[in-house]
Amino acid sequence: MTGLIFKEIKATTYQRADIDRGYAGQTLAVDLGTPEIQTVPVTDEMKTRFIGGKGFDLWLLWQAVTGSTRWDDPENAICIACGPMGGTPAYPGSGKSIVTTISPLTKTVIDSNVGGYFGPYLKFSGFDALKITGKAQKDTIVFIDGLEKKIELLTVDGLSDNAYEIAGALTDHFGRGKPGHISVVCTGPGARHTFFGCLNFTWYDAKRKRARYKQAGRGGIGTVFADKGLAAVVVRWDRVPLDVNHPADPEAARAVGKQYSKEIVALDPKQNEMARVGTTHLVPIMNDYDCLPVNNFRYGQHPRADLIGRDVYQHLFDPGFDGCWKGCTVACSHGVKDFVPLTGPFKGQAVFVDGPEYETIAGCGSNLGIFDPFTILEINFYCDNYGLDTISVGTSIAFVMECFEMGLIDQRQSGGLSLSFGQRDSALELVHQMGRGEGFGKIVGQGVRRMKKIFADEFGADPGILEDIGMESKGLEFSEYMTKESLAQQGGYGLALKGPQHDEAWLIFLDMVHNLMPTFEQKADNLHWFPMWRTWFSLCGLCKLPWNDIVPEDNKDTTEPARVMKHIQWYAEYFSAVTGRKSTPDDLVVMSEAVYNFQRIFNLRMGFGRREHDTLPYRAMGPVTVEEYESRRKRYDTQLEEIHGVDITGREAAEKVALLRKFREAQYEKLKGVVYQRRGWTKDGIPTVATVKKLGIDFPEVLEVLKENGVTA
Amino acid sequence: MIQVDGKAVPWRKDMTVTALIRALGETYDYPAVRINNRIVSRPHFDQTTVPDGATVYLIPLVAGG
Repeated sequence: MTGLIFKEIKATTYQRADIDRGYAGQTLAVDLGTPEIQTVPVTDEMKTRFIGGKGFDLWLLWQAVTGSTRWDDPENAICIACGPMGGTPAYPGSGKSIVTTISPLTKTVIDSNVGGYFGPYLKFSGFDALKITGKAQKDTIVFIDGLEKKIELLTVDGLSDNAYEIAGALTDHFGRGKPGHISVVCTGPGARHTFFGCLNFTWYDAKRKRARYKQAGRGGIGTVFADKGLAAVVVRWDRVPLDVNHPADPEAARAVGKQYSKEIVALDPKQNEMARVGTTHLVPIMNDYDCLPVNNFRYGQHPRADLIGRDVYQHLFDPGFDGCWKGCTVACSHGVKDFVPLTGPFKGQAVFVDGPEYETIAGCGSNLGIFDPFTILEINFYCDNYGLDTISVGTSIAFVMECFEMGLIDQRQSGGLSLSFGQRDSALELVHQMGRGEGFGKIVGQGVRRMKKIFADEFGADPGILEDIGMESKGLEFSEYMTKESLAQQGGYGLALKGPQHDEAWLIFLDMVHNLMPTFEQKADNLHWFPMWRTWFSLCGLCKLPWNDIVPEDNKDTTEPARVMKHIQWYAEYFSAVTGRKSTPDDLVVMSEAVYNFQRIFNLRMGFGRREHDTLPYRAMGPVTVEEYESRRKRYDTQLEEIHGVDITGREAAEKVALLRKFREAQYEKLKGVVYQRRGWTKDGIPTVATVKKLGIDFPEVLEVLKENGVTA
Repeated sequence: MIQVDGKAVPWRKDMTVTALIRALGETYDYPAVRINNRIVSRPHFDQTTVPDGATVYLIPLVAGG
């Protein structure tokens, strides 16, 4: 690649052992400040207690920071890990990297689970996890060359600011003619100018001959990355045979992987068609069930939703294999080729768009009142290119659009932009402003929580209504499901460790559609089991989609179809075969429970992690405005009368809104208490000493944090 | 005839999705079906008729994010 000037500032060689039972046996620590490069052995205790992936990340992050570390302090670490199961092409969904850091949005731990080649290549290069601390003085690339067993820190001049150009240039340069041997982690200019910068992880698409992207989107990890002066992290590796993890029982590992892959190939075309349409199938279904966020989560349905769903994108996606990891039969990472943006620096040029997925469609489409699939593609493309999280971008713009429509802000504050719902040009302009760090986009890029304060303090907006309609919890913007009618999903969002992201507990369908958990105790049981189980994927370097997006034909006849226990049995067999640690499905859940509780205590250490932090804006629980109430009046009237025993005769809508609110807020508070009890936590939401002892995470520093917070038993 | 999950099933005039599922003897609460490459969710089962010769898939689980 011409025009790039690299200068080595530090380099070291290292020893690389063969992968043994899924583990490389060491981690890599890079301090950009000193600079320093160290390899650190992985202990048996780490494997036993933290398993790998997010567990290793959390342990490394815990050691790197203190309770007073801010997101932009040099000691804050970005940790990236795969996991013992990650990296084989023999098992579907085995290419995940898990990233953690202290978030600029939530000021505590954030984690993100992302596809692409990086995590597996990192492990095969000799490292179960990578920890990056410090700050570089000049744009720096960390290059991990697993083939040469060499690590280099390089400054670089001449590198583009745009994420796609960064990935392309570095893949060409470091690939030495073999681009499939490279994975790049990078962000874009928006990460420097906002608090919700994402990380792009590449995978190489041999058919289309290009580096493609998956995103570690949530919580501003890209912002931390940019703040550290990182231009990119690049890893180089080559062969990935089926038994690359050197499992304890290769035959058993191969057998269970084969049957899983075979089942997906046979059943996905009959079920959700992930390999053909990805998650776009969710758009019409969520819309039909009143769960698709529309106009800042005011509503769950819109008559034009069909224009931005599966029926349209199936014709726009470029057909072909779209697996973000080798051998994955789900292969859901679809994209659109030769898309021509109408705005921005790529205006008029044909580009490839990685996506969109459901969250981007709902967040940057219906939730903005935009039902044009091409505008969504353009926002998707520029968010990736600028290094912005599409979920936070969508939810933040939705918030300012509603504020604008309510008259809480106007064109004096928005820099002249008209921001009513459906204003495609204004939405795109805000994205560009976030990329450039200019105008009103710079305020929007601070996220919903900071905007609420700015709008109240500086623009004189009513703080009460801002709290009600600003869709964030713990500082993180909501992902894209409309939860008003599902108390369990309210818990799924409000009780999630990192904030309202759906990866912990997506219970909305089981609760609202299937009515599988009518009692508080049943909700609490599911709000215990599902987050614990789903955490396990991130410990192992796995994707959750193969678990329940394609299910066995006889799954519906089992006692708990939502848990897809046959697959969990396969995961237990597979884990046992790879690691040699004989495990049952219940054992997998307990593994997660230890890490999950550790993360809750980590939040506590950072000044969060109590009942008061598990709050939700009222928009997540019920109708804030009379207009919302009236749009579903029959439903709400019936609930007031039949569930709450209220005589609604002669009552004004505003009065009914207030009454319903009282009941729903009380329900949510009650739910929190029941869930805490089920999880073995105090009434204030803190794990008890007995719980951490039972889970084997009663390290002295953990007990010290509990003691400092008044928990001694 | 129609094809349901790859099996031939007799078609009846004005057969709704609800009637089809009942005729199959299914008691499971399918959240959605796919008829000729178009998704129909349960709220529309009563109003949606299945055309003759249709290819139908019963979608067992919608798993979300």
